[in-house]
Amino acid sequence: MKSLPRVLLVAVAGVLVAAPFLSDNPFYQRIAALTALAAISASAWNLIGGYGGQVSFGHSVYFGLGAYSSLLAFTKLGVPPIAGAPLGVLASFVLSVIVGLPSFRLRGHYFSMATIAIAALAEVLVTNWAFAGGAIGLMGPANARSLADLLFRSALPYYALFLVVLGSLLALTYLMQRGRMGFYLRALGSGERAAESLGVPIRRYKLYALLISGAFTSLAGSLYVVMIGFIDPNSGFGILVSVNMVVMSALGGAGTLFGPLVGAVILVPLEEMTNALLGGGGSGAAYVVYGAAIMLLARFSPGGLAQWWSLLAGKGRRGAA
Amino acid sequence: MLLEAQSIVKSFGGFRAVDGTNLTLHEHELIGLIGPNGAGKSTFFNCLAGDALPDAGSIHFRGREITRMPPHDRARLGLARTFQVPIVFDGMTVRENVMVGAFLRRPHRHAAAAKADEVLAFTGLAEQANQQVTTLGTPGRKRLEIARALATEPVVLLLDEALAGLTAEEIETAIELVRRIHASGITLIVVEHIMEVIHRLTQRVIVLHQGRALAEGAPAEVTRDPRVIEAYLGRRAGRHRP
Repeated sequence: MKSLPRVLLVAVAGVLVAAPFLSDNPFYQRIAALTALAAISASAWNLIGGYGGQVSFGHSVYFGLGAYSSLLAFTKLGVPPIAGAPLGVLASFVLSVIVGLPSFRLRGHYFSMATIAIAALAEVLVTNWAFAGGAIGLMGPANARSLADLLFRSALPYYALFLVVLGSLLALTYLMQRGRMGFYLRALGSGERAAESLGVPIRRYKLYALLISGAFTSLAGSLYVVMIGFIDPNSGFGILVSVNMVVMSALGGAGTLFGPLVGAVILVPLEEMTNALLGGGGSGAAYVVYGAAIMLLARFSPGGLAQWWSLLAGKGRRGAA
Repeated sequence: MLLEAQSIVKSFGGFRAVDGTNLTLHEHELIGLIGPNGAGKSTFFNCLAGDALPDAGSIHFRGREITRMPPHDRARLGLARTFQVPIVFDGMTVRENVMVGAFLRRPHRHAAAAKADEVLAFTGLAEQANQQVTTLGTPGRKRLEIARALATEPVVLLLDEALAGLTAEEIETAIELVRRIHASGITLIVVEHIMEVIHRLTQRVIVLHQGRALAEGAPAEVTRDPRVIEAYLGRRAGRHRP
């Protein structure tokens, strides 16, 4: 998809790499790391929700799965939190099969509804599960026992780590988008019957997309606790975690390579700064902005910012969202 | 025998939309499936294409039973179709739409693109290849549906009212395209309302009425058949009363 010009992409990539070095203020460095992390989960959501058109409102379940796998591995087995990430990815595969196999048999919104239900269920279950810390949640290592604990005072090492993961995910997405799988996902997202008639095994491709999407979202959850060192049911499985991914993708342009990244670059700093400016009492202010963003997008630009770009470029491209 | 449907029954609630219809299709044929509105053409067509599963009866294609086979497996076996109301893939160019079909037999991007360009040239869409698909009007979309289906390199192509809603001029180019497809060695079943099209295009027609095959034969014979005339025009008061 050529909805963004190469020059702009190189500029964005350059800014991303340079961003944290432009300021030695830890506050901004932290924002940069959180932006990269949000871009990972939003880009992961984009695989099934954007390209495949199967909108998940419960992707937090994967995020929470990764976060809890990492901190359970630390608290129960004593291994570094990052060592729990593969467990989270494995669990995400199992979950994708459990959610995807039955709901992809049906046409319509069953998948969206199933994801909402599973995420809500997971939050309640974990809240009442003492083994996993219950409502209080789980803590990561307080002091680094070795480098593998990935405990750093500065946000910069996390930022670098997140950028590497984000870069890998976007490279994978790019390859997928160019190849058969990308075509098949976009086709089944916009016309299931027609795609099927052209030989697209739609259930299988939806499941492929969900497996990859869930795995990277789970990895994002693991990376989150590696940096933040804490998870509770709401910050892992809460509906807002899912909504973030959806809104970021939709704002930047769902079903485009860089849409979710653009959305994250706009929304995460906005959220962090309103939180800082308004303090604890105003910590919900970002969600007012999110709500407004959803309404404005739905009304004026269902294809996200990518749609604006293509209109400006005179390509008349309709958004894939 | 390429495609054979035996005693197909499909009901919706108490209504038997298709009620024991048979069809045989030989290699290199071009047959028509006609009938008044509500005759069961679309339902029967959807049973052949795999979009609807028959309640009874069997369908064989190239020696294999496909009665309950999903549409994507039928496509792989060489059965392609178009839709009465075109379903285009929004957010893609015309070429990309056709590439979706081409990927079935050519997993690699460049091979699929080459096949798509070949089909676009064949169907007269080459000039629009890089346009967004949403810029196409109805004739273009119908043509695109045919192009996409051809890109799967089918043995049998099922056309569901591919000419409906076109102007007289557009119909001429569409007829010419269907003839070229047939000449290229593809066997076709054409569902159509327009009698003139059926007359000019097909060698054999099957007339469906109330879910059953009412008549079958050369178009000229069939359209003279009183039962067919009656099915289309209704019974004149006081005449033809059994």
